[in-house]
Amino acid sequence: MADRNAPAVVLDWNARLSRRRLLACGLQLGGGLSMAAILAACSTSSNNGGQQSGAGGSPSVPTGTITMNNYPGWIGKTEISDFESQFSSASVKTKSEPTESIASDVLFFKQNPGDYDMGLEDQSAVGQMIASEVLQPIDFSNIPNIKYVDDTFRKSYSHGLPTDYGKVGVGYRKDIVTEGITSWQDIWNLAPTYSGQITFLNLDRDCMGSALKYLGYSGNSTTESELEACKNALTEIKPHLQALTNTNVAGGLVKGTVAIAMDWDFDMVAAQQKEPNIEWVIPSEGAVAYLEGWIAVKGTDNLPLVEAFMNFHADPKNYAGFVNNTGTAYVESAATPYVDEAISKNPILFPDQDVLARVEYEDYLGEATALWSKIWDEFKSA
Amino acid sequence: MRPRTLLLVPSLLWFTAFFVAPLVLVLIHSFGRMDLVTFEMRFDWNLQNYRNILDPIYFRTLLRSLALSTSTTILCALVGLPVAYFISRQNDRWQRGLLVLVIVPFWTSFVVRIYAMVNALENGGPIDTLARDLHLVSGRINVLYTPKAIAIGMLYSYLPLMVLPIYVALERIHPSVLDAASDLGANGWQLFRRVILPLAVPGLAAGAVIVGISATGEYVIPEILGGGKTLMLGNVIADQFLNVGDYPFGSAIAVSLLLVLTLLLLVGRGTQRMEAIT
Repeated sequence: MADRNAPAVVLDWNARLSRRRLLACGLQLGGGLSMAAILAACSTSSNNGGQQSGAGGSPSVPTGTITMNNYPGWIGKTEISDFESQFSSASVKTKSEPTESIASDVLFFKQNPGDYDMGLEDQSAVGQMIASEVLQPIDFSNIPNIKYVDDTFRKSYSHGLPTDYGKVGVGYRKDIVTEGITSWQDIWNLAPTYSGQITFLNLDRDCMGSALKYLGYSGNSTTESELEACKNALTEIKPHLQALTNTNVAGGLVKGTVAIAMDWDFDMVAAQQKEPNIEWVIPSEGAVAYLEGWIAVKGTDNLPLVEAFMNFHADPKNYAGFVNNTGTAYVESAATPYVDEAISKNPILFPDQDVLARVEYEDYLGEATALWSKIWDEFKSA
Repeated sequence: MRPRTLLLVPSLLWFTAFFVAPLVLVLIHSFGRMDLVTFEMRFDWNLQNYRNILDPIYFRTLLRSLALSTSTTILCALVGLPVAYFISRQNDRWQRGLLVLVIVPFWTSFVVRIYAMVNALENGGPIDTLARDLHLVSGRINVLYTPKAIAIGMLYSYLPLMVLPIYVALERIHPSVLDAASDLGANGWQLFRRVILPLAVPGLAAGAVIVGISATGEYVIPEILGGGKTLMLGNVIADQFLNVGDYPFGSAIAVSLLLVLTLLLLVGRGTQRMEAIT
């Protein structure tokens, strides 16, 4: 839990091992090579007993052990031990499986039934998990603290407890790009001027989703003609791109070798600490974002404990501990009094409602997943 | 079974379990179909995955991978041959030291080495700074995220695999062979063309196979040093397995690549045999 009487916190954003960054690294390098190297020593388990107390009004005191699939460190510093202190016979084990995509997540759960009770998944993965019958529905009446989750996120995350999100926007050097940028159209217009100084994200959902927003379409479009238009727009700008990259995206902006970068909000926050001339915008046409949260995995034999943990996590003070430890954009306004001001007062991580209104969360594509993959390959091959 | 044949059993078991069996599994999967909604696999022994490979995008990607592999092999041979020759002409102590220097890069993780190349080749990096300080370039070197960076990265990564087999071939050349050629009037170029190069061919051939086959599936270097703007066949295979989850299609592409490389190897071998006969 944040100590609000402590001196102003200087947050080391680079030390925060964000899920998106890991996912992106894994996808880029493929084969779990780097993911295995990074995550090999990171399995942690926690198996302590604790004091007995209920939280959030669960009808009975849960017992037993649950295993969660989570990225290392993507939890409050003392969250698990605090939970185990509140529930006498309950324990939470954390494992980090080096999966690199939604498909590999789902296949992993299918091939290892019963190994996990809960996991951290984004909304597009939730849809895939439902289709593949590996998602366990939960009883939201057992998670009364879900009332603290803002409606915007609650409505967009269908089958679990939303925990955090990350927006894809535009970072640029205002001392280099003196014209300023407010829209995706600006980037396409300025591309010839700043040719070779622009980077886009090397992820189909984020890159194509952004291009779809540029064209005025949904970032989750499954219409072939719209996806073809998306491919054409990306192919048009491709000659001016320096790189498609997921690693150290903001590094070029900091050094000045990149003038304009499509990037995630959490990355920009860290970059701005190093180079104040970096601006970050959510374009006027809109932006895509991932919205992730806790879900229960089918085959769990301890759903009450899973729901109890979710309820504990959603308590504003506990949730603030998670936000302070990860530095992520957060989904509970009620937690703001307990969140470090470096996060709560940062308009990138805690934007106004009119900015959030332009954000579309990435959702499950259904049978169009293969079409997206083909369009992405065609763009990369162009 | 003779006792000494029994010594082969552990290796054969390992080879069968961890090489042959996985290959067979990949082959079987290539005839299957994955429902990308439910992720249920069906094995109905159809050729649809192989028909999908005929899509121009994948065919172009295969050609691109083969072109990268060929250019890497040629580059490695052009640089590796003089390096291997130089090492082979040194005394034993120097040979050992120089060979260690050739092998040292492999002591570091491949991915780490490639990311180190990013730092080395970027504008404002040490090479860029040195080039400008020496007035070799007027502006920035602009190498990173271009085909030049890919070529440098491929050469850096695969050169040792070419140098070592050529060295083995050249090290067997007795100095008296070279002395005899010189005594018979061969100048430097004739010595190289008529004596050294023919004797280096077995090493070059071995190096070409090792480098060529490895480089065909390469996609990490184009992805990192090339800026991720180029689609290689390795990307497609990795994407199908790790991102899309379409194991059967990924398997079909992998099997197709294996068949193409096997065919090229057989053609190369056949050509060598024909040359030996004539």
